[in-house]
Amino acid sequence: MNTHLLPASPAASSSGRPELSTTKRPPRGWFARQYRQRMLRTDLLTVIAWSSVAAAIALWLADGGATNITSPASLFTAAGIVAGLAGMDLVLLMLLLAARIPFIDRTIGHDRALEFHGKLGKPSLYLLLAHGVLLAIGYGMAEGLDPVSESINLWVQVPDMWLAFVSMALFIAVVVTSLVAVRRRFPYEFWYVVHLLTYAAVATSIPHQFSVGGLFAAGTWQRWYWLSICIYTGSALVYFRILEPVLATARHQLTVARVERVAPGVVNIVMRGRKLNQLAGTGGRFFIWRFLAPGMWWHPHPFSLSAEPVFSGSDGQGTLRVTVRGLGNGSAQLLRLRKGTKVALEGPYGLLSTAARTKNKMVMIGAGIGITPLRALLETTPFAPGEATVLLRGHTEQELYLGSEILDLCQARGGRLFHLIGPRSRTQSTWLPEDAVRNGYSLTSYVPDIADADVYVCGPAVWAANVIADAGKAGVPEEQIHHERFDW
Amino acid sequence: MQQTSDANAATSTLKARTFQCMGTVIGLTMPVDSPTEGQPGFDELGAATAVVERLFRDLDETFSLYRPDSEASKLARGDVKLPQASVQMRERYAEAHEWRLRTEGAFTPERPDGVLDLSGIIKGHAIREAGTSLLALGRRDWCLNAGGDVLVSGSPRPGSAEPWKAGVVDPADRRTLITGYALGGTNRHAAIATSGSAERGEHIWRVGNDGEFIQVSVAAADIVTADVLATAIVAGGTRMLNRAADHWDVAVLAIRADGSMLATPGFQSS
Amino acid sequence: MKIRGTVAAALASAGILLAGWQTGTQAGGISTVASSTTAAGTTGSTGTGSSGTGSSGTGPTGSTGSSGSTGSAGSSSSSGSSGSTSSSGSSNSSASGTYKGNTVQTRFGPVQVQITVASGKITDVTALQLTNTDGKSIQISNRAAPLLRSKVLAAQSANIQTVSGATITSDAYLTSLQAAIDAANL
Repeated sequence: MNTHLLPASPAASSSGRPELSTTKRPPRGWFARQYRQRMLRTDLLTVIAWSSVAAAIALWLADGGATNITSPASLFTAAGIVAGLAGMDLVLLMLLLAARIPFIDRTIGHDRALEFHGKLGKPSLYLLLAHGVLLAIGYGMAEGLDPVSESINLWVQVPDMWLAFVSMALFIAVVVTSLVAVRRRFPYEFWYVVHLLTYAAVATSIPHQFSVGGLFAAGTWQRWYWLSICIYTGSALVYFRILEPVLATARHQLTVARVERVAPGVVNIVMRGRKLNQLAGTGGRFFIWRFLAPGMWWHPHPFSLSAEPVFSGSDGQGTLRVTVRGLGNGSAQLLRLRKGTKVALEGPYGLLSTAARTKNKMVMIGAGIGITPLRALLETTPFAPGEATVLLRGHTEQELYLGSEILDLCQARGGRLFHLIGPRSRTQSTWLPEDAVRNGYSLTSYVPDIADADVYVCGPAVWAANVIADAGKAGVPEEQIHHERFDW
Repeated sequence: MQQTSDANAATSTLKARTFQCMGTVIGLTMPVDSPTEGQPGFDELGAATAVVERLFRDLDETFSLYRPDSEASKLARGDVKLPQASVQMRERYAEAHEWRLRTEGAFTPERPDGVLDLSGIIKGHAIREAGTSLLALGRRDWCLNAGGDVLVSGSPRPGSAEPWKAGVVDPADRRTLITGYALGGTNRHAAIATSGSAERGEHIWRVGNDGEFIQVSVAAADIVTADVLATAIVAGGTRMLNRAADHWDVAVLAIRADGSMLATPGFQSS
Repeated sequence: MKIRGTVAAALASAGILLAGWQTGTQAGGISTVASSTTAAGTTGSTGTGSSGTGSSGTGPTGSTGSSGSTGSAGSSSSSGSSGSTSSSGSSNSSASGTYKGNTVQTRFGPVQVQITVASGKITDVTALQLTNTDGKSIQISNRAAPLLRSKVLAAQSANIQTVSGATITSDAYLTSLQAAIDAANL
């Protein structure tokens, strides 16, 4: 076991190393205020989300819907309509959550946004199913038909309804294939393509919303509201998921400059581009990269920069670097990227950055390739000497990727650095090496005042979960733990 | 036996001939040239009627359950099985069965005692065939009425757009009319059929309702549709009425025992 | 912090729902003409209509009475038909005349109805303009409506060339109207 305990020393820069920005620690309380503002934004999002569902139902109430409930048939029909309104609203919320809207990303982070997106899947499907079933029952009761005959009637007689049935089928397909149990059995690409059917599902559901039934008939203000939110959602999707990345790619004109081997299976991919000043300060956040080479262009890679951009000329020209491990189908090809390959990028996304900080002190705990975003964060996030601690975990010294760079940074900025090397502990705290645990070390041994610090954790999912559990036990409140999930 | 009559008219003269068949009276009315032209016009009507009569009698020979030697009776007795029956029998059976599906059982060729009774569709079929024959003969303007089911072509005043006008009897008083309906001319409906329990209606088997309508008239583009739907609505009540109105281009007048009426827009004065 | 968000969201949602509810109940005014709809004879339909007014009015085919066609009323009520169908000011139950109702929404589209009132009773209901002219509204407009004797297309024996009635026997024919026409041949 190797442990380097560096004395806190004033930040000093020496020649040969990249010029560090003099990121002085901001005034006391600044991070706390940042945190409060972020929480307010989170609450705002919560209010907007719930209010939109309420508004959808209120549209129907304002139209006198509730006063029309005078019989069992009309009760079923009313319930069916309300279910449809709420269901569609949830679908729109889901789309917005997946649209990568910057406001949402810097408030709750992209991974949490997708988590909510996933959580809304089943409720929205149930509501849409209820919509269909209850209306078939309600309309059927009013006409003296059983629900199945009524459904057939609707399909055959009412225009746009067959599209609605198609839409229902597509929604079911999308949600079923997204169930974890089903998802595991198919390759990711298959699931992704089926998931894209969501757009088709939403598109085929829209005509009947505006042409059948009276709530959104031409001339009603409800129609305007519904149209607006549909258009807004569509625009957000188009702008943030398609247009912005296209603009960013065109703006930066990145090409692969070189691929350097860092360790077995791990490389630095250095890309050249321009206007990179706009990408400065994004340490810790991730971009989605597409290397435009045959066979690779359709594979999106979420990587963080592993260092700040290095500028070499005017107009923000310079290089970017990502450090990646060549695992998995798509990544193995990365090891053999050719120079000059164009690169498309989307982002930055994610909350594993300075924006998430709530305290003055911070701790960064990384393992494996998860070390690399922390390396970039370390370069730019403001802290005073002695207020930052870095823990790097690996089986061997070689696995502490970019270890020397991190050492330099800590020396320069006054951060504490620990290398935790060796086989995994078998007992509790399995995130620590065996030796450390045997010698009685725990998280608080390395960072005694961890409860007062922001803790950034980055590494394999199971390992990270273990770290987080330990941090919780050490008294770190949940809002101070920052961890990005990459398995979405 | 044919009966004929003349009439006084301004320009063209409507003449009619009738004959008995299928237990009822069938009449063919046609505008003929004014009497000054004499016999030729008169003979045309005679010839046309002969063709129609021949057609009806042939069908009656095969399908009448009142003749012990008809194929239908043989089928009913079991002397002949349906797969061995004539092509015509099987075709009509298939057609009747298709209507049974379309009306969800309100119209059915099966009697409650299991005997196959195609009389509900044979009369309409006969009229249809007669109409085709008349058109083949070159007769463009005529009105064929078989026991209350009417099919028309052209106009009572040849060359004009004037429609044929059919009256609908009042079930409460057979000698008066309750309303009328315009057939042919510019109207897309050329046929009207009336079904009712007021008179001979053996082929209407009640379908689970209490005989809501006592008389139903249906106007449609073809006579078989009108005939079958009229029968089906008497048997099936309001549900069948709505189904008919929804799925076919028809005009319906339905009369209840208490005299109240339901009518689709075609029968309503606008 | 989470609690604050949840509470705020709940309050906001409740407020919005309340606002919607208020707007909805204010929009539907029920006039006495309409209430006489439920009392009047022609409407036998119970229940499936919207607040009474909807049922007779919005069924573009007068879904009153006949059990089958209440479908259109039921569906129109559920798709938020806007309250009363009688728009005219006079809500005196002894008023007579013809009233054009509001355009109401049915699942096939907007429909405007006209009701005729005599001595405080609805005597006729007609679907007026069906504001769409595509297939779906024509289809529903073909439904049967109650027909008053006075409103039938007038027919006199002198005007017709043929008579349609339930099939009669050859004997009955002899005393029938058709026989008279055939004999006189117009």
